[in-house]
Amino acid sequence: MTLLPYIVNDLRVPLARLLAGALVVALASSACAAGEQGAGGASGKHLLVLFSNNRLLPANVEADRGIRSKLQGLQPDAEISAEFLDYPRFTGEDYIRTLSAYLREKYRERPPQVVVVAGQDAFAFLMDNRRHLFPAAPVVHIAASAAQIEAAAPLPADVVGEPLNIDFRGTVELALRHHAQARHVVVVTGASAFDRAYEAQFRRDAARMGERASFEFLAGLSTQDVLARLAALDRGSVVFTPGFFQDREGRSYFPREAVSIMTKASGAPVYGPFETLIGAGVVGGSMVNFFDMGQEAAEAASAIMVGAEPASLTPPPRAPAQAQLDWREARRWQVPPHLVSRDTLVRFKEPTFWEAHRREALAATGVFALQALLISGLLVERQRRRRTEIALKNNLFQLAHASRRAIAGELTGSIAHEINQPLGAILSNAVAADLMLESGSCTREELREILQDIRRDNMRASEVIRRLRALLQNKELEHAPFDVNEAISDAAHVLRAEVQRRQAQLVVLPAPAPLVVAGDHIQIQQVVINLVLNAMDATATLPPERRAVVVQAASVQGGVDVSVADRGAGVPPAKLEQIFDSFFTTKSAGIGLGLSIARTLVESHHGRIWVENGPQEGAIFHVFLPWPAGAGDSARGT
Amino acid sequence: MSVAPVIHVVDDDHSLRTSLLRLLGASGFETREYVSTGDFLLNPAPDRHGCVLLDVCMPGPSGLELQSALARQQAPLPIIFLTGHADVSSSVSAMKAGAVDFLTKPVEPEVLMDAISRALERDRLARAARAETQQLHARFSALSDREREVFNQIVAGKLNKQIAHELGIAERTLKAKRAHVMLKLKAGSVADLGKFAEQLRRDQFTQTMREPSQMHARPQASAP
Repeated sequence: MTLLPYIVNDLRVPLARLLAGALVVALASSACAAGEQGAGGASGKHLLVLFSNNRLLPANVEADRGIRSKLQGLQPDAEISAEFLDYPRFTGEDYIRTLSAYLREKYRERPPQVVVVAGQDAFAFLMDNRRHLFPAAPVVHIAASAAQIEAAAPLPADVVGEPLNIDFRGTVELALRHHAQARHVVVVTGASAFDRAYEAQFRRDAARMGERASFEFLAGLSTQDVLARLAALDRGSVVFTPGFFQDREGRSYFPREAVSIMTKASGAPVYGPFETLIGAGVVGGSMVNFFDMGQEAAEAASAIMVGAEPASLTPPPRAPAQAQLDWREARRWQVPPHLVSRDTLVRFKEPTFWEAHRREALAATGVFALQALLISGLLVERQRRRRTEIALKNNLFQLAHASRRAIAGELTGSIAHEINQPLGAILSNAVAADLMLESGSCTREELREILQDIRRDNMRASEVIRRLRALLQNKELEHAPFDVNEAISDAAHVLRAEVQRRQAQLVVLPAPAPLVVAGDHIQIQQVVINLVLNAMDATATLPPERRAVVVQAASVQGGVDVSVADRGAGVPPAKLEQIFDSFFTTKSAGIGLGLSIARTLVESHHGRIWVENGPQEGAIFHVFLPWPAGAGDSARGT
Repeated sequence: MSVAPVIHVVDDDHSLRTSLLRLLGASGFETREYVSTGDFLLNPAPDRHGCVLLDVCMPGPSGLELQSALARQQAPLPIIFLTGHADVSSSVSAMKAGAVDFLTKPVEPEVLMDAISRALERDRLARAARAETQQLHARFSALSDREREVFNQIVAGKLNKQIAHELGIAERTLKAKRAHVMLKLKAGSVADLGKFAEQLRRDQFTQTMREPSQMHARPQASAP
């Protein structure tokens, strides 16, 4: 089938054309038998719709939709072709000639069974060229004005249709209702034959409207005069116009174009009878619905297809004109909304959000409400969690501090010893010096030596106090780089006297290079002190040689390992995990928070703490602290 | 007491020890220093008038342990404890075991000197007592067997007639022996003899206490 146009073009001989036609029939029937071919091809039901204008014109789109929806329901096997003559963009004799030649060639082998013409230009074109194009096909016309039909009368018997009746009365009544103060109607028509036909109709219609309003006809004037007159109008008037094709000077317009100029100039609201004028500045009018017209045409075409005699067709009931209103213009001219009747089709009215999306709005509101509820819930939850986190952090901080105070309490004896030792020495030295001076038995060197000793002891005492204060002060958590070696040696210093008091030994083995991790130096020191005190507790009752605790720091894969090893009895395998739980204790004194706090502190440094039993004896506690993020291997130093 | 008393300072803390030595030296004492209890035990003090300033808390055996070790010696020196931190239990046990005082550092020099003078007084008395007992022992050992028998009978409160009868000697001979005993023991009266006997018995008892291994074989003081 797709090859057909080429075949047709090449075979110019009538015989060949005949052969081709036979071929088409043969192909069509075989295709029908095979059931693969489009239904239209087989049945011959072919409807051609000629539109006056562009395919995108709203009136055309509506009419096309009406025709297709109706015909497909009535004749499912009918084929519909559509041609858009594209007036008024292309006009002139050449165009018409070319167009008709094109259509003739195009539809030579598949002539339409019925032709529908939509609009006055298509009607005029087909009436002029019908005998060259589709002489056999009956014609159904729509949207051609009554004036035009009248002008073309008498029509052939196989040309039927309902002329487009301009609802003058309906439109004027609509205008007068919308503008209560208006008593004067200005009717504008043009100078062409069509325009004159309109004018005649309107004058008749106006005469029938009696005393409703006074009518003024601006018929066949120059555009300038029309515009001047319209500009002088006030709200006491309304303007009615179908637009015009030509003014007195012979200047041509398309009706919509003419209307557009008028509405811009007019001091009174402009009404018109065509839907196509909506958007050109008219407020509204009683307008014909092109979709309905399309449906009516399809009905008539369908009847003809199944064999009805076109002449026998009673003209389809006239499509009721639809009152329409351009909401934008209505607002501009202050049409009170309560005067707009319900059956008026209001165009370009932004429906209120509620009207347009009632269900969606309800659903969305529901969703929003739920979401808001959820969000506020989450916010409350988040705040609560944050507060809890802060409280937890504070609690942890307080707990860690309390734990350090407990440690300090435990170390009171040894710390007092450490401070009193140098204080005692200072006092004795001072008194000795005094005595020596009194007796005059001393040399300057001796005195200087004494003074140096006093100074050194003073430093010693204050150093002990400094370390103790560092351990006890309730300062903000620090997050700074520090050397783990220093933390364990500080811990050892704090523990020195306590180790001695318990007659134990503490061996500290720092790594050869600095082990810099990030965190709170004091907290890690606290963890080490805690582990050493635990180790000494575990070995307190053992012979002195087993009361040895070894603290070792080493660089390992990914961080630092601090181990605290004792020579006690070790941890029963079943308790290796449990030992870090709160309130787990094997000691007679103590509430079992030490290791639990140690674990919390280590984990707050993103580290790990665990215990294993030594190969021969004792327990080894390990604290792993990761290198600072991003520091890489350089943090390990060299 | 022609020789100056010796003060033994036992403290592991170098600086404190040095300062004490300076103070004591400036106060006219002779001093000796020890860095640990073991150091003190390994370097026995000459038997001289003096006392010990002992730190409680030291590496190795503590001051309290040294105290109990010294208590077993024949002539223990009085001990003054010095401690950096006085806890009740160690102060109680120290005082019970006979310490002169238990002082907390830093010690006021006056307090220390007072304690030292009390310790030296106690040492002086103890030395005097020990010297007396020694003399008594010497005199007692100079008695013949028969004279010791007479001494035992006298201090048991028996009359001359009874003693003479029991020993199977004449009353007159007994009287002569009795005069010898009094003379050898430098006793002025029978009451003095009773006092000596009591002294010897007590000494015997403390000797036994110091050597617990001999507890079971405790000799009777009345029958030396």
